[in-house]
Parts: sequence; structure tokens; C-alpha cells
Amino acid sequence: MTDLIKEQKLLENVTNPFKIKGRVIRNRRVEVFCDKETVSSVLLYAKTQLGYIHLAHMTCIDWIDENKFELIYTIWSPVEKVHLFVKTKIDRENPVMENIDKIWDQANTYEREMREMFGIEFPGLIGEHDFALEDWDEMPPMRKDFDTHQYAEQTYYNRPGREDAKDVRETLVERSGTEVPDFAKKYSRER
Amino acid sequence: MINDKDSQKIVDYIQNFSRKHSLFVMAYGTGCGAIEIPATMTSRYDAERFGIRGAATPRQADVLLITGYLATKTLKRVIRVYEQMQEPKYVIGFGSCTINGGMYYDSYNTINALEQYIPVDVYINGCMPRPESVISGFIKLQELIQQGKADNGKRYRENLEWYRANQKKIIKNWKMPDYNW
Repeated sequence: MTDLIKEQKLLENVTNPFKIKGRVIRNRRVEVFCDKETVSSVLLYAKTQLGYIHLAHMTCIDWIDENKFELIYTIWSPVEKVHLFVKTKIDRENPVMENIDKIWDQANTYEREMREMFGIEFPGLIGEHDFALEDWDEMPPMRKDFDTHQYAEQTYYNRPGREDAKDVRETLVERSGTEVPDFAKKYSRER
Repeated sequence: MINDKDSQKIVDYIQNFSRKHSLFVMAYGTGCGAIEIPATMTSRYDAERFGIRGAATPRQADVLLITGYLATKTLKRVIRVYEQMQEPKYVIGFGSCTINGGMYYDSYNTINALEQYIPVDVYINGCMPRPESVISGFIKLQELIQQGKADNGKRYRENLEWYRANQKKIIKNWKMPDYNW
């Protein structure tokens, strides 16, 4: 296969000036891990010096066991055709992250979504507080400690009849009194 | 001399007959079910042979189709559309999501039972219902209209407080005009 020359070169180009760690995931995928403060410098450097001009995606992962939010910036170079993931972890209590919409305007949309879904504050963000949700005053719904099933049960009317909707096969067996065929047993949820 | 009761029966029959054969469906798709409507309307299934066709505005429409999951944000718009519609008006709940939440039963942002918020005449189950089921649901509605049992607007008017209380439980910031005809 390929020997990942351009990926290695990119990794060195990004990690050496900032003294950060990173790795080549596979062909055309490189990731670097950096501090909260370094992110915007890395992104600006990659955009202006290395030609990674396209912000493909920004997303957030809730690592509830570590008590951290991980933010991932995916940027792409149309010349090299390599995706570069810039990853950082921030605290879960009072999460504040640097606003990068001076580097890419379209980051504003992602940041507003993250503010609403995870409660991360981006100082200086343009836009009204509501993004997709309306009149939401609970915990931000994409956090892992938000129990969406419980919330739905409390808030919305639950029609009776969903309780026995566990496994269709076993419900049918209970009703009819026959046995589950062997070929169907291996797909059963209760092992 | 014509008996008044019998003549009223004839008038009702003619009225219901003409109503059931000109169902103007509000062109408002919520959720993913709206994609079945073009298939139902176009030449293969041809819903217009039953008198079902689209209407552009709520005030011209008879039927409101709730096609699929209903987010709380959309519910606000649906209530507004529903209240602008003039009687006789009918509501069809379309797909599993309007009946018991369907695959979105544990979502924080979609309602689970439509008839808690606006009265519903006919439910069509399935995820998605095929155009055959959609047409069969419309025929069921036509039967109800012919028997004079489709009294959606009347039910809403009579139980308005109950519906309003349920709606306001979901929509916290209630800034809506009152349509009280």
C-alpha cells in the first residue's frame, strides 16, 4: 500500500512548531492533540501556512467518566486531500472555549449548536440564544447525564402498550405457548 | 307537507356527500411522512379520483395531515395552522410517531400522542404507511363524514380548555394569537 509520506510530513509540520503530540490514523487521516489555548493558533497556522483552508466539521464528545468535553475540529486541504483532526479536551464544569469565527465564519453555526446541545460557552458569539430548540430551560440535551427517556416520560403523554414491546419473538412465544425455533434464538436480545 | 326531520336528513346526506368528495388537504408536511404524499397524489395511485387534492392555505383546506414525528417546535406551528382552518375540518394522524411516538418515543423533543394536543379523526399506522394505507385512511375518513361522525372542530371547541392546558404544558413561551370562531 502507500507509505503515508504526505501524512507524515503534515504531522511533522503541525506538531514541531507547537510541541504537541499527534499521530497518523491511516491514509489521508491525521490527528493532533493540543491544549485549549493552542487550538486557535494551530488552526490559524494550518490555514495560512499549510493550506488547510476548509473547516469541514466541528463537533463535541462528552467523556463523562473523565469529566471532560472533547472538541474536534476537522479541517481539509483541497491540494493535499488530507483531513486533519485537531482535538482538545476542556473541563466539563463551566465549559468555556475560544471562539474561532474570526478564522472561519461558518464556525459560528457549529458553535451555536454546541452551546445549545452541550452548554459550552463561546465568548463573543454572534446570534440569538435559541438555535434549533425553542424555549429550552432544562439541562442541555446532548450531555450524557441528561436522561432523555425519563424526560420524555415525564413531559409527554405515554400511551399504554409499549411495556411489552421488548422482544417480538419472546412476546409471541408467551402468547402462543410455542417454543422459539433454534435459528431465531441466536438473534434474541436476552442471552 | 314535508316532514322537517326527514328533509333535514336529506339535506345532511347531500351536504355530507359533497363534503366527503372534495377533501382539500393542507400542503404542510411535518416529519418524514410527507414524502409519501407525492406518491399518493400522482398518477400511479391518483388520490384525486377520491376528490383528494392539495390546498395552498389553511383557510382553504379541509384536512390537516400530520405526517410523521412532530417536534415541539413544529407543534406550535401546527396548532396555529389548525386554528386558522375553518370548519368543517378534519385531522389525520399519519404514521406510528403520531400514535405513540414510534421510534422517537424517548426523544426529548418530539410529542408522543397527537390527540392530546389537537383532536384526531383517523390514524394511519405504519412506518411509513404506503400509499394504499393512506388512501384507505382517507376512505375511512370519508365514511365518518358520510355518517356525520367527523366532528373535529366541534370537539376542539368544546374541550378547548383541556387542549390548551396540554399545549401550554409543552409550549412554555406561549405567544400566539387567539382564533375564536
